[in-house]
Amino acid sequence: MKLAVCIKRVPDTETRIKIAADGKSIEESGVKFVLNPYDEYAVEEALKLKEQAGGGEVVAVSLGGDASQETIRTALAMGADRGVLLKTAARPLDPLEPAKALAAELKDSGYDLILFGKLAIDDYNQAVGTMVAELLGLPSVSSIAHLEIADRKGTAEREIEGGVEVVEFTLPAVLTTDKGLNEPRYPALRGIMMAKKKPLEVKEVQLGGGGVEILELALPPERSGGKIVGEGAGAVPALIDALRNEAKVL
Amino acid sequence: MATPFVPASFQPPLPRERLLLTEPPGDERIDLDVLVVGGGPAGLACALELAKLVERDNASDGGIGDVQIGVLEKAGSLGEHCLSGAVVNPRALQELFPDADLSAMPLGKPVGSEAVYFLTGSRAVRIPTPPPMKNHGNHVASLCEIVRWMGEKAEAMGVNVFPGYPAGALFVEGDRVTGVRTVATGLDRDGNPTSSYQPPADLVARVTALAEGTRGMLAEAWREWQGVGADNPQIYALGVKELWETKVPLDTVIHTMGWPLPTDAFGGSFMYPLEPNVVALGLVVGLDHPYRALDVHVLLQRMKTHSLFRRYLEGGEMVEWGAKTIPEGGYYSVPSRRHGDGVVLLGDSAGFVDVPSLKGIHYAMQSGMFAARAIFQALKQGDTAAAPLAEYDRLMDGSYVIEDLHRRRNMRLAFKDGFYIGGMKAGLMTLTGGRVPGRRIDMVADAHVPRGDGGETPFTPNGALTFSKVDAVFKSGNATRDTIPTHLMVGKDVTPEAAEFYSHLCPAGVYEVVDGGLRVNAPNCVDCKATDVVGPRWTPREGGSGPAYKRM
Amino acid sequence: MPGVLVVAEQRDGKVKRIAHETLAAARAVADNAGGDVHALVIGPSGTSAEGLGNAGADKVALALDDALALYQGDRYATIVAARAKAGGYAVVLLGSTALGKDLGPRVAARLGCPLANDVTSIVAGAGITVTRPVYSGKAVYTMKISAVPCVVSVRPNVFAPGAFGKAGVHETVAAGSEEPRAKTVQVKEPERAALDVAEASIVVSGGRGLKGPENFHLIEELAAALGGATGASRAVVDAGWRPHAEQVGQTGKTVSPNLYFAVGISGAIQHLAGMRSSKIIVAINKDADAPIFKIADYGIVGDLFEILPKLTEAIKQARGN
Repeated sequence: MKLAVCIKRVPDTETRIKIAADGKSIEESGVKFVLNPYDEYAVEEALKLKEQAGGGEVVAVSLGGDASQETIRTALAMGADRGVLLKTAARPLDPLEPAKALAAELKDSGYDLILFGKLAIDDYNQAVGTMVAELLGLPSVSSIAHLEIADRKGTAEREIEGGVEVVEFTLPAVLTTDKGLNEPRYPALRGIMMAKKKPLEVKEVQLGGGGVEILELALPPERSGGKIVGEGAGAVPALIDALRNEAKVL
Repeated sequence: MATPFVPASFQPPLPRERLLLTEPPGDERIDLDVLVVGGGPAGLACALELAKLVERDNASDGGIGDVQIGVLEKAGSLGEHCLSGAVVNPRALQELFPDADLSAMPLGKPVGSEAVYFLTGSRAVRIPTPPPMKNHGNHVASLCEIVRWMGEKAEAMGVNVFPGYPAGALFVEGDRVTGVRTVATGLDRDGNPTSSYQPPADLVARVTALAEGTRGMLAEAWREWQGVGADNPQIYALGVKELWETKVPLDTVIHTMGWPLPTDAFGGSFMYPLEPNVVALGLVVGLDHPYRALDVHVLLQRMKTHSLFRRYLEGGEMVEWGAKTIPEGGYYSVPSRRHGDGVVLLGDSAGFVDVPSLKGIHYAMQSGMFAARAIFQALKQGDTAAAPLAEYDRLMDGSYVIEDLHRRRNMRLAFKDGFYIGGMKAGLMTLTGGRVPGRRIDMVADAHVPRGDGGETPFTPNGALTFSKVDAVFKSGNATRDTIPTHLMVGKDVTPEAAEFYSHLCPAGVYEVVDGGLRVNAPNCVDCKATDVVGPRWTPREGGSGPAYKRM
Repeated sequence: MPGVLVVAEQRDGKVKRIAHETLAAARAVADNAGGDVHALVIGPSGTSAEGLGNAGADKVALALDDALALYQGDRYATIVAARAKAGGYAVVLLGSTALGKDLGPRVAARLGCPLANDVTSIVAGAGITVTRPVYSGKAVYTMKISAVPCVVSVRPNVFAPGAFGKAGVHETVAAGSEEPRAKTVQVKEPERAALDVAEASIVVSGGRGLKGPENFHLIEELAAALGGATGASRAVVDAGWRPHAEQVGQTGKTVSPNLYFAVGISGAIQHLAGMRSSKIIVAINKDADAPIFKIADYGIVGDLFEILPKLTEAIKQARGN
């Protein structure tokens, strides 16, 4: 089975965000970068499917700068067979641009399945995977938490408000993965050693600027203490009122 | 009134049978030429120097060929368990990277002004900087940043770095160390495998370099097994450190002595500008103090209320907190040999720290480099027994490292007589270049020092300048899985005095006295090793557990 | 004049509240930039579009077909893209729900246009300017899109539905007939009975103030009334009162629900860090100086044993409406 997994290098979730001098991006010095957590589920699922099929190839593809090679090596250490870095200096915020670059790379490559994490924990676009499917003219299911593949047909489940959607599709297809799909394996020691020897191709690509202009990246307003709406059980109506009409969470 | 108690009575012995394995490694083992245990400055310097020697050798005919070097690190990423003041002497880094400019190195600005104060509760009296503490030519730095930088260089040279893999035991064959077994991951509280279970991995190597840092467990086990002693037992201090982003800039390297420490506790504080508005400060206290209730974390919190510190910290934010022990015994506590069949001991694990000058990082790196040279020769000759590896000891003994440690061999030890006598003796030593007092000062291991009443400092943190242990541990980046098996071996029949002692000893709040009994919150542990020195035994737990220091 | 197309989400033939919220956002845009707001409802035959005019739609287009009762990405995308092109809209708005997060990218890819996901504000001027949370809620982008059209999804519970009294003139549009390549065949009940504290949008957490495990039913009842999950502070988990899976903060979970109740929890940093990025925090504690009040949006000082039952009752009544 031939599988591609599209992965992204992102700041670790525990990162304390500081805004860079340009006011439009984060300060990267001292930030620990990792493989996007949702992409781990995608890599794991690809490895499992290859194992179940008794053979094939898992290719890890990443769009980013040189440092993304490290991220690809992580996927190789987990067990992917080879990697491709689509090297680009700029990464526009508009998800259509990365989608076009990835679609161009993946087109006509004979992949049975192309997997993405459902979203990247930096930009939260939650779009590139599904867009790539559309650009390639392939069926897609997003945010899957369960998957079964048999005889070139797939059944996926995804969580929706108050329920679980069951979706059937035929291969080839694009899937984006959510937490709960599997438990990603830690790279074994041998895997880490072998990752250095696996092929990693670097291709220079140019992305368009996209249609999204960043005006500002800012920290959310400091939570200042709010209101003590009252004392004792008598304050309950005031609280309900505030939650409903002011905070709009009820 | 509670009786004085001796911590050693409650300490379980080192679990040698678990730490030294005579069974052969499994079939799935990884074969390496050199295995370094510990990805800190000593371990990485060893790997880097060795990689360089191999590369140079292979540039001409008859080269040594492929040499597989592996570095095991228990933290989830390099640097996350590294913590130090620090003011670093750059000479070892410059020797390791002769072609790199100082400005390319992960070192902050060179030290400009410095000051030493003697504190009382209300005043800070400036005293002349004791000569060993002069830092001209040195740089304030973050050990985490240094280690990450070295790690990148090492990986670029083909060194296999394995973060998230703690070493749990040594493989031994006769007297030889043949490799290491790592710690399993994915066990539940009762030690049963969960769905994410990964068994221990076996690594085999021709030479194993133990660079585990302070109170290295495998180094201790090896020494005990091989009967490698020293003139004095190793003694330790506990340092608790915080990193602050401040509104008021600092431009001076500051050290203090005196308040809030009682006069029969050895130690002092530091406050360094990592950047003008990023301040590293901490309190270091010898673990040979005579008190049950002395609490280094609490003392640090109190210390911050002194105007000397407060004026910089007020309005700022504590961004990181951490703790680590420091081997303080100096020259007389360095093991009589630091090599054996298939093994060498590096850095803090071998006690290469000079307390009077507060230096250990460049010594650690230097030891790694010397070890690498000895290892390279041994590999070239095809013999990695003790005899060829003895070259490492010869290189160290002939170097500035041992020379420095020897000159100041009694300075820290003199303070066992208290601050004032100790201070006088230390002054004499400086004046005479170490000759007077020259004879070795006897020390007992910290665990044998009886602990009595006193030393408490009741304190309520305000959550802005001062913090509880619970809040502090959070700032260490500790996200250890709550359900892992406990890694601490508590002695039998722990008395209320011992429980009280542990609760004050541990800066991370692992030990609490609850309803008269001892409660152990093992996931809080930040691997400082104070517990292993005078309390319950520490053993390594699944990789990635413990703190995640970023700029400590 | 180009206007706004709102995909008005329905379930089981009834338009969802998010559709009203999205229409309110659309009105803000249209009233600034000019143009009309048209709703597009895709669903099974018999889907009711009552109230969409009042909610802000000048026109309501209905694409109804029983085969569209369940969300079918391919077919929904075809209908929306065709409508967007035909109507020359400037903006296509959806709710950033499970459906919207799947449909939005499809439509944007087909239209070849920019997409802004999960926005918390939208203003029309020269182009449209939106804000959206990123980096796990730790930062916010302000972004401008000048391209026409563009696709924007709005975060639920941010834009308040309004009463705009627009005409909402109905129009039937073609529902298409292609067989979707990925076909939703059913919607099952969720497997987990208990909501995972890390996933829930409402969390009620209890701390040492509850005094004992036997009192946690008060937390469970409030959580049930709110349709949320129960959480616990590290202290009560360590004490064995509640299971580890519920722990919030410090080596437990980090949660960012829309609504977080901290009951009998003083607010040590570790717990605060776990729930800090919750949208709204309500604290109930008898100590007016407890640190939790410094970051809570709303608080009640008092005896939780008196307050909780009253609060639970009031929530049940409020939600019944």
